Amino acid sequence: MKAAAVEIRGVHHGFGDKPVLDDVNLRIGRGQFLALVGPSGCGKSTLLRAIVGTHLPRRGEIRLFPPGADAAGLLVTGPGRDRGIVYQQYALFPFLTALENVAIGLMLDETSIPFRFFRFLRWRALRRRHLEMAVEMLARVKLADALHLYPHEMSGGMRQRVALAQALIMKPEILLMDEPFGALDEATREELQQHLISLRSENLLALDESRTPPHTLIIVTHELNEAIYVGDRVVGLSQHWDWRSEGHQSFPGATVTYDKATPHSSAKTDRNFGAFAMARDEIRRVVFEPQAPPGRNEHVTYWKTRASPETTDEPT
Amino acid sequence: MKSHPVLAPFVACLAAFLASAPEVFSGPPSFSLAWSEYPSWSVFGVAHGLQLIDGREGKLGKIESKWNVDIVLKEAEYDPCLTMYGAAQCDAVCITNMDALNPALSRPSAVILPTSTSLGGDALITVDSIKNVQQLRGKKVLGLSKSVSEYCFVRNLELLGENEKDHNFSNMDPGAAAMAMQQKQPDVAAIVVWNPFVLETLNRRKDVHVLFDSSSIPNEIVDTVTVAQASLDKPGGKEFACAVIETYYAVNHSLADPATADDTLVALGEKFSHLDLASMKKVVQQTKFYSTPDAARALIAGKDLRGVMHKVVDFCVKHEIVAKAPEVGYGTKAEAPGAALRFDPSYIEAATAAK
Amino acid sequence: MIRHPIPRPAALALAVASILVLIISYTVLSERQHRLNPGDTTLPTWSQLREGVGVAVHKNQRTGERWLVEDAKASLGRLFLGLLWGVAGALILGLLMGCFSPAEAFLQPPFSLLAQIPPTAVLAVFFVLAGTGDNMYVAMIAFGVMPTLAMTVHMAVKEFPEELQFKAYTLGASHAEVILAIIFHQILPRLLDAFRLAIGPAMVYLIAAEMVVGDVGFGYRIRLQSKLLNMSVVYPYLACLAAFGFAMDGALRQAQRRFCPWYQGSRG
Ligand SMILES: Nc1ncnc2c1ncn2[C@@H]1O[C@H](COP(=O)(O)OP(=O)(O)OP(=O)(O)O)[C@@H](O)[C@H]1O
Ligand SMILES: [Mg+2]
Repeated sequence: MKAAAVEIRGVHHGFGDKPVLDDVNLRIGRGQFLALVGPSGCGKSTLLRAIVGTHLPRRGEIRLFPPGADAAGLLVTGPGRDRGIVYQQYALFPFLTALENVAIGLMLDETSIPFRFFRFLRWRALRRRHLEMAVEMLARVKLADALHLYPHEMSGGMRQRVALAQALIMKPEILLMDEPFGALDEATREELQQHLISLRSENLLALDESRTPPHTLIIVTHELNEAIYVGDRVVGLSQHWDWRSEGHQSFPGATVTYDKATPHSSAKTDRNFGAFAMARDEIRRVVFEPQAPPGRNEHVTYWKTRASPETTDEPT
Repeated sequence: MKSHPVLAPFVACLAAFLASAPEVFSGPPSFSLAWSEYPSWSVFGVAHGLQLIDGREGKLGKIESKWNVDIVLKEAEYDPCLTMYGAAQCDAVCITNMDALNPALSRPSAVILPTSTSLGGDALITVDSIKNVQQLRGKKVLGLSKSVSEYCFVRNLELLGENEKDHNFSNMDPGAAAMAMQQKQPDVAAIVVWNPFVLETLNRRKDVHVLFDSSSIPNEIVDTVTVAQASLDKPGGKEFACAVIETYYAVNHSLADPATADDTLVALGEKFSHLDLASMKKVVQQTKFYSTPDAARALIAGKDLRGVMHKVVDFCVKHEIVAKAPEVGYGTKAEAPGAALRFDPSYIEAATAAK
Repeated sequence: MIRHPIPRPAALALAVASILVLIISYTVLSERQHRLNPGDTTLPTWSQLREGVGVAVHKNQRTGERWLVEDAKASLGRLFLGLLWGVAGALILGLLMGCFSPAEAFLQPPFSLLAQIPPTAVLAVFFVLAGTGDNMYVAMIAFGVMPTLAMTVHMAVKEFPEELQFKAYTLGASHAEVILAIIFHQILPRLLDAFRLAIGPAMVYLIAAEMVVGDVGFGYRIRLQSKLLNMSVVYPYLACLAAFGFAMDGALRQAQRRFCPWYQGSRG
C-alpha cells in the first residue's frame, strides 16, 4: 500500500442537535478493501455520503489523492465520477435496461448533450462501443442473458449485479458501497462477495507486477462475516466508546473504535477459520456491545501494526 | 320512429314504465312560463315580487286565483329558455318573433302577447374612425349570428342601400363583443349588441358611437310571450294566457302611474343586469313596451305585421335559421288553422274584456 | 368479490351491454319525447340524426366547405396548439420548480392558486393577453392546463429518488444531463398520464370559449345549432368530440407504452 487514496480528517457531523459523528479520522490506502461496520444508526451511511460528497460534514474534511494530485490532495466538495457508488436501494435507473444502465455512465462521462446532438454520427459510433463494453461488463457479472431486461423485470440479485457493473465500468478510483447486499439471499450474496474478492485478486496481481492496484473499496455492511471475508481491513464505527474520559459532558457522536487488518489480508493463505472467528468476536465485543466501552484508540491499530507508508505531513 | 324489431319490446316496456309516472291531481291546472332577464320580460319576475302571481308551483297569486290557474315561472338564460321550449319542458316562453319561428316548426305556437319592440335597443356601435356605412365595408362586425343582432344589421344595410355581401358579420357573444370593444381590442372596430350592452359600451368607452340601430326598424324586432298550441288547447290553457296578459298589463300600469313608476322601474332594473334608474329610463325608451292592450292589438291585428313577418321569415330562411319557412298565421286558431306560428289577439281581448 | 378479475369475454359482453343500455335508453327517451310532440327535434330519432349528420357533412355550395370539416380544422388546431404550449410550458416550469428551490418558492404559490381558476371565467384577461382571434383559444387552453400539469411534473420530480441523482453525478453527469437525460426520462410517463387527464378540461375550455367568442369551431356550431334546436346536428358533433378525446387518449397511452415501456411494470 504505497499511497493514500482518501483521508478523512477530523470529521464531525450531526443532524439538528443530534450529534452523529465525532472526530472521525481515517486514512485509506490505494488498493485497500475497507469494510465499515457498526451498530445500526451509528452513522456509517452518513460517513459514506460524506465521502461521496452528497452530504458534506459539518466539520473536518475529506481529501482525495488521485494519481498526479499534489501533496495536499483534493477536497471533496461534491459527488464526482472518481467515486462510484452502489446503494442498497434505488440501485438502477428504472427507465433503462440492464445494458443501458451499464452504458449510461460511459455516455455521461465521455459525451455531452451538445456532442450527442450536433455530432450525431460520431455519437452513434461511440454508443456502439459503449454498448459492447457494457455487454462485456455484464458478462463479467454473469448477466449476459439479461441485457434487455428492465430493473423491474429483474430479481434483487440481478439488480445489484447490474449496479455493480454500472459502477465498475467507470473504473472509479474509489468504489463506495452502502450495504449493497443487504436484501439478498445467502447464495446470491455469497456469489457477489466472490465477485468482490476477484476484484481484490486483481489488486494483488497488479501489486505483484508493481502496478497501482486498480480497485479501492469502502463497503458498509452490518454483516461481520462479510466484512472480514471481503475486506482486508475492518473499521468499526460505534456510539459505544468512552467519551466521558475525554471530557465530554454529553454524547459527542460515534467515532472509530476499531481499525484492524483482517486475518487473511496478511497471510496469503485463504481462510483461516480460527483467526476468522476470533476477529469476529473481537469486533462484536468492541464495536457492538455497550458494556465497558473502549477508549478511542485502544483498537485502532491498523497503521500502527504496519510500516506506515507516509506521514500525515508528507504523503508520497 | 322505427325501432329495431329486437329492441322494440324493450323500448315499449321501458317507455310504458317511464310514461306511467302517476299524475298527481290537485288544485288548478298548472302552466309554466320560461322567461329570461329582459326589460319587458323581467315584468314577470317583478309581478312575482309584487305577489300578483306566485311563480312557485302550487302557490297562487292574486291574478292566478282570479283565473284559477297556476303559473309556474322558470327563469333561465335566453338560450336555455329556447331549448326548454323546444323540448316541450315549458308551456310558454318569452321569445322574440324571430326566434319563435324555429321552435314553432316542431311545436305549433301562438303569440298571445307582444311585450315590447326594440327601438334602439339593438345597435351597431363602431369606433369613431368609422363614420359611415361605406367605411364599414369589409370590416369585421361582431355580433351573435342568426340572432336579432344580425337581423337588425342586415335590415339596416338594406335600408341604407348596402349590399350584404360587402359586409362581414362574424359571430361573437354580445357580452364578449361588448367586453372586447370596451377593452379597445385592436381588431374589434364594430359590434352589434343589444341592451344592456349598448348602454354599457357607450358609457364606458367614449370614442365609439352608434352608427345605426333598431330605431330605424320599429315594430320589426318584437318581444313576445308565445304559448304552445297544445297547451292552449288543454283545459285552463285560455285562462293561463289571460292571466299572463293581465299580469303584464298590471305591472305596466304601475309603470305608467307616476306614484309607482320609479319603484317599479328600479325593480325591473334589479331583474335586468342591475341597471340603475337613469339607465333603466333609457332602456325602456329603447325597448318600447306595448304597454296597453290597444297598442298590442294595433300591432298584432295591424296590417304592417304581415309585411314584417314576411321579411323576418325571408331572413331566417336565407340565413339557415329555419330549415323551411313556417306558415305564419293571424287571428284565432279557427281563422288560421294550419299556421305554425300564429299571432292571436283574441286572448288580449278576452283578458281585457273580463275586467 | 372485491377486485376479483373476470374473464375477458365476460368483460367484453358487459362492455357491449353497457353501450346497448345507452342506446336503448336514448331510443326510449326519444320515442317518449316524440309521442309527446311528433315534431320534436330536441331528442332526435335515429333517422333524424342521420339527416343531421348529412347536414354536418354537406358541402355548402356558397363557401365550398363542409361544417364538420371546417369546424374540426379550427377547433382541433386550437386544441393541439393550446395543449402543446400548455404541456411544453408545464414541463419547463415543472422541471424548474422541481429542480431549483428559488423557482419552486416563486412559482408554487401562483400555480396552486391558478389551478383553482377556470380560465373561461376570466375571458377578459385572455382578450387582453391574446386578442380575440385564434391565439385567445390557444392561450386559454395553454394557461388552463398548465398549472395542474406543472404541479404534476413538479411532484414527479420531487419524488425522484435523490440516490439516483447522486449516482448520475458519480457517473459523470452534468447538471443539464441530470435534468434532461435522467429526470426527464423518469417523469415522462407521469407527464403523459397528466397530459391524458388534461385533454378533458382543455376541450371544456375550448368549447366554452368558442360558444362565446367563436365564429367557427365545435363550440360555435354547438351553441348555434342547439339554440336553433337542431340537436340532430349537435349530438353527432358531441359524438365527434368524444371520439376525438378517446382517440387522443388512446394515442397518448400508446405513446406511453412505446416510449416508456418500463413504466407499467415498475409501478407499485
Ligand atoms: N436526513 C437525516 N435527518 C436527521 N437525522 C438523520 C438523517 N439521516 C440520518 N440521520 C440520523 O443519523 C444517524 C446515523 O444515520 P446513518 O444512516 O448514517 O446510520 P447507519 O449507521 O447507516 O445505520 P444503518 O446501519 O441502520 O444503515 C441516525 O441516528 C439517524 O437517525
Ligand atoms: Mg446505513
